[in-house]
Amino acid sequence: MSRSGGPQIPQLDRIVEHATCLGCGCACDDIRVRVNGDLILETTSTCALGATWFGDGRVPTAIRIGSRSGALDEALTATVSLLRSAREPLIYLAPELSCEAQREATGLADRVHGVLDTISSATVLPSILAAQERGRTTATLGEIRQRADAIVFWGVDPRTRYPRFASRYAPDAAGLHIEGRSGRHVMAIDIGPARGPEDADSRVPVNAVDEVDFLGVLTAHIRRPGTSIAQTLDRLAAPLAARLATAQYIALIADGEPATADAATGRGDPQRAAALIALAHALNGSTRCALITLRGGGNRSGAEAVLTAETGFPTGVMFSRGYPVYRPHDAIRTTDRLLVVGDAAQMPTEILNRFAPDARAIIGPRASLHAAVAAIDTGVAGVHVNGTALRMDDVPLRLRPSLPFGLDPAEVLRALRSRVAP
Amino acid sequence: MSQLRITGGVVYDPANGVDGEVRDICIDNGTIVSTVPGTATVIDARGMVVMPGGVDIHSHVASSSVNLARRLLPEEHLAAPVAAPDLVDGIPRSGTGGTVPTTFTTGYRYAGLGYTTVFDAAVAPISARLSHAEFDATPIVDGGFFVLLGNDEYLLRLIDAGERDEARDYAAWIIAATGGYAIKIVNPGGVELWKRNGRGRTGIDTPIGSSRVTPRAILETLVDAGNALRLPHAAHIHCNDLGAAGNVATTIASMQAVDGRRAHFTHLQFHAYATTPEGGWRSGGRELIEYVNAHPAITGDVGQVMFGPATTLTADGPVEYLLAQSSGRKWVNVDIELETGCGIVPYTYQENAAVAALQWAVGLELFLLSADPWRVVLSTDHPNGGSFMAYPELIRLLMDRTYRDEQLKRVNRKLLAGSALLDGISREYTLNEIAIVTRAGPARILGLTSKGHLGTGADADVTVYASDPDVSRMFATPRYVVKGGALVVDEGHLRRAPAGRRLHVRPGYDAQVERGLREFFDRYSTVAFDNYPVGPLRDAPCPPAGGR
Repeated sequence: MSRSGGPQIPQLDRIVEHATCLGCGCACDDIRVRVNGDLILETTSTCALGATWFGDGRVPTAIRIGSRSGALDEALTATVSLLRSAREPLIYLAPELSCEAQREATGLADRVHGVLDTISSATVLPSILAAQERGRTTATLGEIRQRADAIVFWGVDPRTRYPRFASRYAPDAAGLHIEGRSGRHVMAIDIGPARGPEDADSRVPVNAVDEVDFLGVLTAHIRRPGTSIAQTLDRLAAPLAARLATAQYIALIADGEPATADAATGRGDPQRAAALIALAHALNGSTRCALITLRGGGNRSGAEAVLTAETGFPTGVMFSRGYPVYRPHDAIRTTDRLLVVGDAAQMPTEILNRFAPDARAIIGPRASLHAAVAAIDTGVAGVHVNGTALRMDDVPLRLRPSLPFGLDPAEVLRALRSRVAP
Repeated sequence: MSQLRITGGVVYDPANGVDGEVRDICIDNGTIVSTVPGTATVIDARGMVVMPGGVDIHSHVASSSVNLARRLLPEEHLAAPVAAPDLVDGIPRSGTGGTVPTTFTTGYRYAGLGYTTVFDAAVAPISARLSHAEFDATPIVDGGFFVLLGNDEYLLRLIDAGERDEARDYAAWIIAATGGYAIKIVNPGGVELWKRNGRGRTGIDTPIGSSRVTPRAILETLVDAGNALRLPHAAHIHCNDLGAAGNVATTIASMQAVDGRRAHFTHLQFHAYATTPEGGWRSGGRELIEYVNAHPAITGDVGQVMFGPATTLTADGPVEYLLAQSSGRKWVNVDIELETGCGIVPYTYQENAAVAALQWAVGLELFLLSADPWRVVLSTDHPNGGSFMAYPELIRLLMDRTYRDEQLKRVNRKLLAGSALLDGISREYTLNEIAIVTRAGPARILGLTSKGHLGTGADADVTVYASDPDVSRMFATPRYVVKGGALVVDEGHLRRAPAGRRLHVRPGYDAQVERGLREFFDRYSTVAFDNYPVGPLRDAPCPPAGGR
């Protein structure tokens, strides 16, 4: 990503095949990227969202100490000072990191007895907590492609925020045991204004205020056909339950993410998440059902997997006592310094702005766009940085950076950790 | 510390015929040698017991399923914080324990028990990258994993087409692509039936969508593949019908299906239940172990149940469905595209529960009636039958009849009628036999020629225990553990945590197999064929069975 000086020698285009796009949680790994020098000229197979995510590959390459430019060494020194001055530092994992960088950040948080939080605490916490309470019946996305004959879009049309979901996974993609769209029955459950796909084979309108109640009634109808609970909801639930009972394999698809990180900050409805899990459990009593929770981009699932492996908890971990403690609701409450790792523009501004510029440092893509004690611009995982990322269903994917130049946050964090505690 | 002499200890090295002899063990640069100069560091092991490092042939420590289990258990982890150890070098890491500890804690704990090699027994090929990443974060122990193939859709299609040679090449390709060590078969065909909404029991001849595809055909194909490819470890088989009353018939039929061929049958305990004339549960332990005793090509591990909390976690999704229904506990199911499944249910084995007590007794029967400790080795199927941290307690049950009989009095005996254990078994394992079932035997079954023994040229993985009349205490707290020549446990304290080595194989195959496979990937897979392999690993592959 550095733009070299010197004489301009014409360069030939390079093609990178099978690049993985982290523009959303679909993590399509069939992208063809045409590159010249340090510019992306064209991407093939991307959706609009993916094309924007790749862009032309240009990201800032600055290193700033306060308001001035500086060297990496100085920026690391400033970051170490910030961490050392903290009573309790917050290390915040924002999107656009490889699992390798997330792993280094986890080790750093452990070392400095800090708090480690991720964007998941602000976005999908209700789903995480409900699944920890009850479990979860799900599938990898390829499995619903192979065999789901009934696809239920619960208040979501994936076209906008997960544009290739339909063509790569379901309902449009052909599977081993089922044809594509024609072999599947697509149901849209419209929750108030949150509508399912317009071309659904059938649809059920539900008032937004009734959503959780309706989930409960539907679950009851699955468990005990012919049951009678609340007449208005029974009228909707009974035929839907009867239809679902005839399916061999149901994909129940709901959105796990708010439209933006700022839209939620942890205030999703825990009852809704729990009720969706209960419905999927009930459907597995007589047929098969996988609950698919749609997730955003930038390797969010990867952060949860790395934290779980190394701390036992997927997000919101306090190391203040020298060991991991789970505080997903309020881990950040007592922190007084912030180190963001990842793209700070994609984290909740409420959290970023809790800390004055002289109380925060940032290591990640476009870090220098934010005021901070130290800001180290790095590459974006998958565009500039190598490694592994997880799809929304936890399937790990190889990253093939098309512009393998510039700083890898994992290496920057490794250097930082060795300075914090040699 | 490149040179070490462990002097004066009582050595148990069954692979080399050493049964409790006072000997020095010399180490130079990570390898056992015949002698070292007088300048070598000396560990005074007088009065202590010296064994090769332990080898766990069947555990669940590094996989996407293990991580889902970790994620499911925040309450366990909150109650089991683990501070970072005080290491003299390396970066210490904190973690959490419980039945499914975090990665670093898992490495520290295995080493703290004197175990230096661990295999994860069930990895979905598509998630192999995660297993490597987790092993990278599991220090000290050398690790590898077995690759799930018994419900693989591409393999089932090859079997249906009668293409057994191509099936063998496919198995080789996928082991190489994933950096795996052996073929794993879990409930052959039964997981595929579960995905098709099948709820019944899968017998050895149940058709899996086609009369040509049956568990029997899957077993034959993959056992033959493992042997033809000269994999160091035979196909590792979790039979159909796990946990069901009367399943011992299925288990023996599975063994008969591959009669005379090298094959490893895992967690035998979970597959050794007979029925009473009324259809109730009773032990099938004696029946199963007598069959194993009489068939020298078969090896197995026990999968002992230990009382207390466990987490059942398996690719055998339908079993976990049944367990979730009967226990009412929280339940995870993940159907994994084109390959396998995953089910997780936390569980507690209670000594006053009749079925749990039967399971406990069946495991002990298998151990105590086994005629050949080299072929039937120790496991709890961690964390399914209990944690690996229970191994010292299990060793005490095997070595101390008085203690065992006391425990037997405490358990629910409702289903133990006719059990050999209730009839009274006087056998007590010797230290030499413990050394066989916990290191020498598993190493031999795994084809690890440089592990499980202390002969010249072996890896310098050595455990030194202070003698103690309470053998569970003795095996829980080794005084010294040497891993690859590094003194990791010193005076009973974990002091070093070097990275472990990855144990994997790269069997050869006819590259033609890639042509059809690429087409299949292009058509159905959601991961690009070229992105699927994990790529080169840092450590060199292990040699095939019988050497290079």
